[in-house]
Amino acid sequence: MTQKELHNQRLVQEAQKAVMQQHTRRHFIKESAMGFGALALGSLLGGCNTSSSPNLFDATNPLAPKAPPFLGKAKSVIYLHMAGAPSQLEMFSYKPELAKLDGQDCPPSLLAGKKFAFIRGVPKMLGPQASFKQYGESGIWLSENLPHLSSVIDKCAVLQAVTTDQFNHAPAQLLMHTGTPRLGRPSMGSWVTYGLGSENKNLPGFVVLTSGGNNPDAGKSVWGSGFLPSVYQGVQCRSEGDPVLFIKDPAGMDRDIRKASIDAINKVNEESYTEYQDPETLSRISQYELAYKMQISVPGVMDISTEPEYIHEMYGTKPGESCFANNVLLARKLVEKGVRFVQLFDWGWDTHGDSAGNAVDIGLKNKCRKIDRPITALLQDLEQRGLLDETLVVWGSEFGRTPMQENRDGKTMPFKGRDHHGEAFSMWMAGGGIKGGTTYGETDEIGYNIVNGKVETFDIQATLLNQLGFDHEKFTYESQGRNFRLTDVRGKVIHDIIA
Amino acid sequence: MFLQPSKKLFYSSAVLIVLAITAVVIYPSDPIDFNTEVKPILNKKCITCHGGVKQEGGFSVLFEEEALAPTKSGKPAIIKFKPEESELIRRLHLTDPEERMPYKHDPLSKEEIKILTTWIKEGAKWGDHWAYQKVKEPVVPSSSNNWIQNNVDQYILEKLKAESLSPSAEADKATLLRRVSLDLTGLPPSKKIAAKYLADNSNKAYENLVNDLMASPAYGERWAALWLDLARYADTKGFEADRSRNIYKYRDWLIDAFNKDKPYNDFIIEQIAGDLLPNPTDANYIATAFHRNTMNNDEGGTDNEEFRTAAVLDRVNTTWGALMGTSFNCVQCHSHPYDPFKHDEYYKFMAFFNNTRDEDSPFENPVLRQYKGMDSAKFEKVKTWLRQNTNAASANYWTTFLRTLQPTINAFQCDKFVDGANGWYATLRNKGTCNLKNVVLTGKSELLFKYASRVDRGVWRIYLDSLKGPLVKEVPIKNTGGGFVHSRTSIPSINGTHTLYFSYYSPSIKNNTDDGILFEWFSFGNPFPSPEKPGYDSAFKHFNDLLAAGAETTPIMFEANQDLSRPTHVFERGSWLSKGKIVTPDVPKVLPGMPANAPKNRLGLAMWLTNKNNPLVSRTLVNRLWEQLFGTGIVETLEDLGTQGMAPTHQTLLDYLAWQLMYTHNWSVKKTLKEIVLSATYKQQSSFTKELLKKDPYNKLYARGPRVRLSAEQIRDQTLAVSALLSPKMYGKSVMPYQPEGIWRSPYNGDAWKLSEGEDQYRRSLYTYFKRTAPYPSMLTFDGGAREVCIIRRIRTNTPLQALTSLNDSSYIIMARSFAKTMEKINGPIETKIKTGYQQMMYKPITDSKLNALTKLYQTSLLKYQGNKKAAAILVSDSTLNAPINRAALVVVANTMLNLDEWLNKN
Repeated sequence: MTQKELHNQRLVQEAQKAVMQQHTRRHFIKESAMGFGALALGSLLGGCNTSSSPNLFDATNPLAPKAPPFLGKAKSVIYLHMAGAPSQLEMFSYKPELAKLDGQDCPPSLLAGKKFAFIRGVPKMLGPQASFKQYGESGIWLSENLPHLSSVIDKCAVLQAVTTDQFNHAPAQLLMHTGTPRLGRPSMGSWVTYGLGSENKNLPGFVVLTSGGNNPDAGKSVWGSGFLPSVYQGVQCRSEGDPVLFIKDPAGMDRDIRKASIDAINKVNEESYTEYQDPETLSRISQYELAYKMQISVPGVMDISTEPEYIHEMYGTKPGESCFANNVLLARKLVEKGVRFVQLFDWGWDTHGDSAGNAVDIGLKNKCRKIDRPITALLQDLEQRGLLDETLVVWGSEFGRTPMQENRDGKTMPFKGRDHHGEAFSMWMAGGGIKGGTTYGETDEIGYNIVNGKVETFDIQATLLNQLGFDHEKFTYESQGRNFRLTDVRGKVIHDIIA
Repeated sequence: MFLQPSKKLFYSSAVLIVLAITAVVIYPSDPIDFNTEVKPILNKKCITCHGGVKQEGGFSVLFEEEALAPTKSGKPAIIKFKPEESELIRRLHLTDPEERMPYKHDPLSKEEIKILTTWIKEGAKWGDHWAYQKVKEPVVPSSSNNWIQNNVDQYILEKLKAESLSPSAEADKATLLRRVSLDLTGLPPSKKIAAKYLADNSNKAYENLVNDLMASPAYGERWAALWLDLARYADTKGFEADRSRNIYKYRDWLIDAFNKDKPYNDFIIEQIAGDLLPNPTDANYIATAFHRNTMNNDEGGTDNEEFRTAAVLDRVNTTWGALMGTSFNCVQCHSHPYDPFKHDEYYKFMAFFNNTRDEDSPFENPVLRQYKGMDSAKFEKVKTWLRQNTNAASANYWTTFLRTLQPTINAFQCDKFVDGANGWYATLRNKGTCNLKNVVLTGKSELLFKYASRVDRGVWRIYLDSLKGPLVKEVPIKNTGGGFVHSRTSIPSINGTHTLYFSYYSPSIKNNTDDGILFEWFSFGNPFPSPEKPGYDSAFKHFNDLLAAGAETTPIMFEANQDLSRPTHVFERGSWLSKGKIVTPDVPKVLPGMPANAPKNRLGLAMWLTNKNNPLVSRTLVNRLWEQLFGTGIVETLEDLGTQGMAPTHQTLLDYLAWQLMYTHNWSVKKTLKEIVLSATYKQQSSFTKELLKKDPYNKLYARGPRVRLSAEQIRDQTLAVSALLSPKMYGKSVMPYQPEGIWRSPYNGDAWKLSEGEDQYRRSLYTYFKRTAPYPSMLTFDGGAREVCIIRRIRTNTPLQALTSLNDSSYIIMARSFAKTMEKINGPIETKIKTGYQQMMYKPITDSKLNALTKLYQTSLLKYQGNKKAAAILVSDSTLNAPINRAALVVVANTMLNLDEWLNKN
């Protein structure tokens, strides 16, 4: 940034502060408190309405970094969501007994009162379609589909008994990411960005990257901001072409002119704000600033081609392509630059057995191959940069898959597939203060029901917030006269996996 | 055993007494209201386990009869007037976690228990939700206050008073001009309309302006644009291949309907059942394309019945969502967990839609065929000849056949192929066989069919009931050179419904893997009528010519006749593969029944929807109109007026407007809109005060006018308009304005974004080609959706991506160039140019400091471009200019002005 730009920026900030000071005293107090960054929220709010935390939205600088209520271990999150629901039985959940039942009719006790997305009548049991071994000092069982991950499994805490009550993709994804199966609530990344702001003023606080050829089934709502100010919604970047549409200055207009033009826009907008006192105008001012800053920094950050060869080798990345590996490397780059929440969605895990690509023995292996190396590299790379301690990595999906073979329409499928299964599935967390090499939760010998250590979607959210320094029961936002939480009325922190 | 519960009861009664004392202060002796007090507790705390899907312990609180019925224990859990005997209440007080309800969740609060207890004590009266009760004649509040301009204001003021707020003053003339023009026409006013209004100082000036705007053709375009979201209109079919679809005539129908102010009841009837009206016009048919905007899956190997069913379900969901503000989707799989709709009622409702002839065919049939040029004259001749030479039923049959190619059976319905296959067509190879089920043959003497073959001396044999059954007909098949032609064969008289078996053979086929014949459709009927009448030869020839002729086609709804009708089953747990009991068309019991004269088909359904007793249709429309003008609906959740939606801010106003729409304005949308925009409420200044920011940040009480960001369409259209680029051209095929490379990905077809020529690049946004898998990027960025299904409500966002779009998108640069040119032509110094430009945008003078900021930007840019003339030339992109520097600086200023907050908002 040139001297002049810095100067201009300072002027804009000063002008905004002045506007803000007129705005309300409370905002002013908050602004200065945030500026010092030292005051804990609790003491700051002491004199205010104590029954609930007031909404902390500073429209002039909505992404300013904020201190969490207590010292969290993680500063940022990389959340890897495999949309479509990978089969835990071919990845993390070792069930030798299931192999013995392969091909037998499913006992009626498992079917009574259950609802399935596609299974009808009496399906056959389907044994694991991959072999398992124990790895690391922890001796965690992993399938042959995850040869790389097995080398870093001691960094991970595997949750073997995650459960959801939604059995279709879109509502289950919404439940996992927004705390409700219906549309309209803020996503995890929005909550976190709202609560913590962003360390990097030139990038969005919450970035979304998708791969696998499709957006997740629930669409953009899984990174929507719901009732939170829209500035906290995830910004979806493209991994091909311009990383963000229209990020380039128009031909014939250089950076300085663009800057001068945005300064003029914001100057006029400040006057509009004085005229209408509309908080959205302040939001727009900061969005125009952010847009400008993104123009400067996004192309560099989103360009993985400048990474050294050993990094490409490690991640299996191919610059210029649109793939999961590239997104994982981008996630590391973004977190390194101070982006708070990076959300990856990889589509194509819905292994019903209706085609080879959707079979648990063929398609699933291919999908695993595409994620195993980059995810492993991510954990190693974060560690070698000293970032793993402060970056929480979450891997998971919206639900798991049945130990029965899918028999859509009562007929055996052409390939080996499994139906949706919400009762029990596997996820893992690593870094960010998570105790590596742990296994939490247990399912029965065929991976159908939970035996102990049940983890609800709300518990994942509660734990994630806890690692970032939030008590999920106190982290609220008032909307429509009610205090909302990410975890609604549920959720407990999974203390057993915390270091 | 006996003592314990009563002890607890004693304890809790003590608590209750204390609570009751506190409660008296808040609710002086009002009986408990089921809907606002009890239902929310049941919905939040009980219904997950005791509702539609799960009924733990045999207890459900979803429907009254379920809640009062005996549970598994043999005794009802709720005993009217006797909370102390009601198991429901007892369970709330227990401490044993295994017994206390809600099971394994936090106990209810004392207040909640108190409400439930009092409610049972008062007789456990159930109540229907307000949205399901018919609209009653309103009693308008009658306060006298100078601010009030019409009845809308009465309702608003009543609530403002209750909140100790007062309304804002009327906005200035310029602000109102821009606000109401963007609201009613989606565009800034024309110069003429603006000048007339600004010069008119009479007290009718504003009303005259509203009349002028409503008379402008832009009005219809603006409201059609809204309806396109509800109709999930797109120019492609969706799913993976996402091929093109020709359905723009439906969009044009909407524009006309709004411009002519077609009464909303007729508007709905024609879209739901235009094909079932007596002697449907082309426009009636085109209106039914509303429900042909469902997606179509052309992918190979997909089950047409699966996607036909998906389209029918979508029609049900869209009808409820768009027209009745109700999320009906849940009922597909189970009884609605929160609203009183039962599982089988979904399928009874679906039965209305399950009998149309569309079958996920890649050809989109049935379509309305509109003949062009000479063919159109031929069509008129055949029609006239038929009318004069045969009976009405027969004339209608053959005319309808020419217009819709119905009734026909899609050949892909054939099954049991041996040496043949089923895709878009039914294909038979040499000696190949297949069958066609459920063919009604009674009274049929001719089979008309469409096929293609590249083989000579083919023979198609048709057998009855099995390949070994009686030979119905042997049909010689000619080599068509691969083109599809229609042909006909007589068939002997056979009674009843049969499965026909087909075989094909040709001695000319050398390679048995070669295709012998491809069938497209079959139509079982009778020969073209009246061969004895004069003019038959020519009429019959015209008829055949027309069958082969090209025509403009639009997908339409077309009801199956008796022969082709389908039964409707309940789908267990919502899956089309688990078919349950058969149901017949009906509407949910909680709503008023169908009118006595309404047939049990789509036409009857349309009559039911538009009957004044229907509580949802009128409320949904006025709520939507309100939302379009004020940014938020009276019920914010446009998609759900029921218990899962938000409570209305002004329920009595909503009902008043619904009443006005139906009874006073006779379903006129224009008159209803006019009543709202003429209110003092609408005309208020939109600025916040500190008090309002604190008390009512979302403007739910309307103590100020609406200030919201414009829609994607409005932003682009007004920018085109002020840049003097906007083409006034209306109607026609969708156009392709500039978009960046790489947006379209069409893996299975060669479709490409081909930049439209000339003024077509600058048409209003509703004419932009809409591809479902890759919508126009700036539309998406400004909160448009992909329209895979109906979009009930757009959620407004404010993101840096929007800023990047209006700053850097080449389309916006082109607009800035053009606006700069306009400003350049203004005589005077740069200040004057900017001043005038701003005036053109905002209709009011620019303030000095704004002018200063923009002039300074001009000077800065000028200085920059003086050092880099090449950049200036690139930016202005105008080879006629020798010295592009001034223009370039002006383009920068124009681009800046078109990004101002006050420009992106209505103020």
